[in-house]
Amino acid sequence: MRTAAELNYREKGIISEIDFSHPSSKRIMEHGFTPGQTIELICKSTFNDPIAISIRGTLIAIRKSEAGCIKLK
Amino acid sequence: MITSTDLKDPLITLVGPPNSGKTTLFNLLSGKNYKTVNYPGSTVEYYTSRILSKFNIKAELVDSPGIVSLIPESIDEKVAVDSLYSHPKLGTPDLVITTIDSCQLSRHLLLPKQLISAGFNVIIVLTMTDILAKRGLKISERKLSKALNCDVVVLNGRSKQGIENLIQATNSNLERIGVTDKKNIIPYNSLKNRKDLIDTFKEIEEIINDVYENVREDEKIYLNSANRELKILQDGATINGFTPDEITLKIDRVLLHRFWGFLVFIVVMGLTFTSIFWIAQPLMDLVDELFTNLNSLVLENFEPGWFTFLVSDGIISGAGSVLVFVPQIIILFVILGLLEDSGYLARGAMLIDKPLSKIGLNGRSFVPMLSGFACAIPAIIAARTIPNRKERLFTIFIIPLMSCSARLPVYALLIAYLIPRDKPWLGGILLGGIYFFSIVSSIVVAWIINKFSKRIFSAEGSSSFILELPSYRVPKISAVINHTYNSSKEYILRAGPMILGFSLVLWFLTFFPNIDPQVETEGFTSGQIQNLERAERLEHSYASDLGKLIQPFMSPIGMDWRIGVSLISAFAAREVFVSSLSLTFKVTSEDDEEHSTLLSSLRNAKKEGTGEKLFTVATSIGLIVFFIFALQCLSTVAVSRKETGGWKIPLLQVFIFTALAYLMTFITVNGLRFFGIQ
Repeated sequence: MRTAAELNYREKGIISEIDFSHPSSKRIMEHGFTPGQTIELICKSTFNDPIAISIRGTLIAIRKSEAGCIKLK
Repeated sequence: MITSTDLKDPLITLVGPPNSGKTTLFNLLSGKNYKTVNYPGSTVEYYTSRILSKFNIKAELVDSPGIVSLIPESIDEKVAVDSLYSHPKLGTPDLVITTIDSCQLSRHLLLPKQLISAGFNVIIVLTMTDILAKRGLKISERKLSKALNCDVVVLNGRSKQGIENLIQATNSNLERIGVTDKKNIIPYNSLKNRKDLIDTFKEIEEIINDVYENVREDEKIYLNSANRELKILQDGATINGFTPDEITLKIDRVLLHRFWGFLVFIVVMGLTFTSIFWIAQPLMDLVDELFTNLNSLVLENFEPGWFTFLVSDGIISGAGSVLVFVPQIIILFVILGLLEDSGYLARGAMLIDKPLSKIGLNGRSFVPMLSGFACAIPAIIAARTIPNRKERLFTIFIIPLMSCSARLPVYALLIAYLIPRDKPWLGGILLGGIYFFSIVSSIVVAWIINKFSKRIFSAEGSSSFILELPSYRVPKISAVINHTYNSSKEYILRAGPMILGFSLVLWFLTFFPNIDPQVETEGFTSGQIQNLERAERLEHSYASDLGKLIQPFMSPIGMDWRIGVSLISAFAAREVFVSSLSLTFKVTSEDDEEHSTLLSSLRNAKKEGTGEKLFTVATSIGLIVFFIFALQCLSTVAVSRKETGGWKIPLLQVFIFTALAYLMTFITVNGLRFFGIQ
């Protein structure tokens, strides 16, 4: 299963679930990453990490290690 | 649970997610006339104020740090949420006003939903509706109010439109609360379930599908042209999936570009640095001159005696060394404010996160570290925004290694001493080299300290970097000025008494016990006699006793007790080193020529006993190296103790950095000698 960390530049995806075992999962959900939402990878940082994802009309910068717990359909 | 009915007036607390316009509302209601309150036992601070009398509400108003949710993660967030539930001094709020960005309803509604289910009396204030209107949409206050069962008010922070509705709603809420019993507040740990979060968001999505409406037709004609101009994509069917505005995405295509992004970042940082130094320099000279003149005014007009010297050398010079940094701090905060308000600072933090995480830091450490190049004190305070405790403590730990501006006068003097007079351009290169070396060495030191981080910081928790990147906008000057004013005030109030106090202690040590020194007066002007008396007094003072005590430590690094005394004086503030050197080396000139005469007396200084030259190239470079590493600032120690909540970290900082400075100086001086450079 793909995760948000594996999205390509300007690729969209729909969230299927959030991996609750990740310590950042609660914080990620509080920022609006919940199942059913469409996200888009807007840009990557110089070192490919963190990445900027568009969610609910806002840009969120997030580390790849944390984006990895956002599972996509 | 303490409730605020114990107090005279009702308590209103403002809460809201970051970037939701909460502080604008607070300033609007309080008229910027506020004071800070500490949450006992922590460093999280609140602004409290009376509501302006023109609004006719008798209530205490509290601003709180921005939070996205009522479930705390970090220790600081826990304190913020705890204080909302029951502040030890202020009690539980009777009314909570929460600001929500209308364009981000689907994310920002989480907090009010949680507040309402926890049992607080809530008023929702919708902000940024003008931006939403540009997208051809508005929010139905009536429907939102019905769905959430609380009052909803639309407010324009810039035009103040809607403020009377908020006042009305506040009054009617307070009246209603007055007659009904206190509500029971549900503690946040029963909200903790992750499944609940998903359900809450589902409810929010249902509400949102209902509350957005198109702007009325006649208004829409005007807005459509605005839309075309802004190229904002608007589609009623995908309200949930608003895209961030097109302009922001376009700018980010450059500013967050893999290659250009980093280049722009380096240029922006370079400009920030240069302006901190070059714009501030004339202003700092002005402050310096003002206090020097004030000092000589006192000395000229009063009988010389210990009291006159206490006023001139103790109090006036002490106050001068506090205020001389204010121009730099103001410029730093203006630039940081402009960068933050425009939305760039969050991008900077994102770009630098990866390299910083390699040495155990976080992208959020970036702003505090940058501030550290002006002054460590506001920098350490700025580290509060780092949620992870270990990363926050680590950031505080290495901030003293950033080359703060107090080191600059010392570098300037030693560089002037080192370079040949006909090659002034060498000075600039050397100074650049010092900064480069200090940045590289802080990275290396941070990397080494990170290896021992578990033992030093004894704080765990997984590292995290999730940061909202706000839309770009033209910075609001009034907000920047306001923020700058408050930060500068905070610096003066926090560091001021400390620096002044230590200046007085040092004055005492350098002045006593030899109050009335005897010097040769023949052939000297009164100004020169005064300087000679000072030098004589210092030579037999407690400070020089201390200096002689550390002579055994100074010899291995090619220095003597006279430099030792100046190094001790530099603990009040580093730039005191220069004036202290001129005292110790009996500079007998008037003020205007002090610098050049100081240089020549340094050139002529001999080691006591052997008669060798004291300030050799090796010693001077050694001194520069010492200043790069040493933590010679007692105000920093005091602020570090306060912010880390204990003595462990500040004491380790003093010990490690001073030992490191000594070791590196030893290696430098003896290394240079080994290669034949004396």
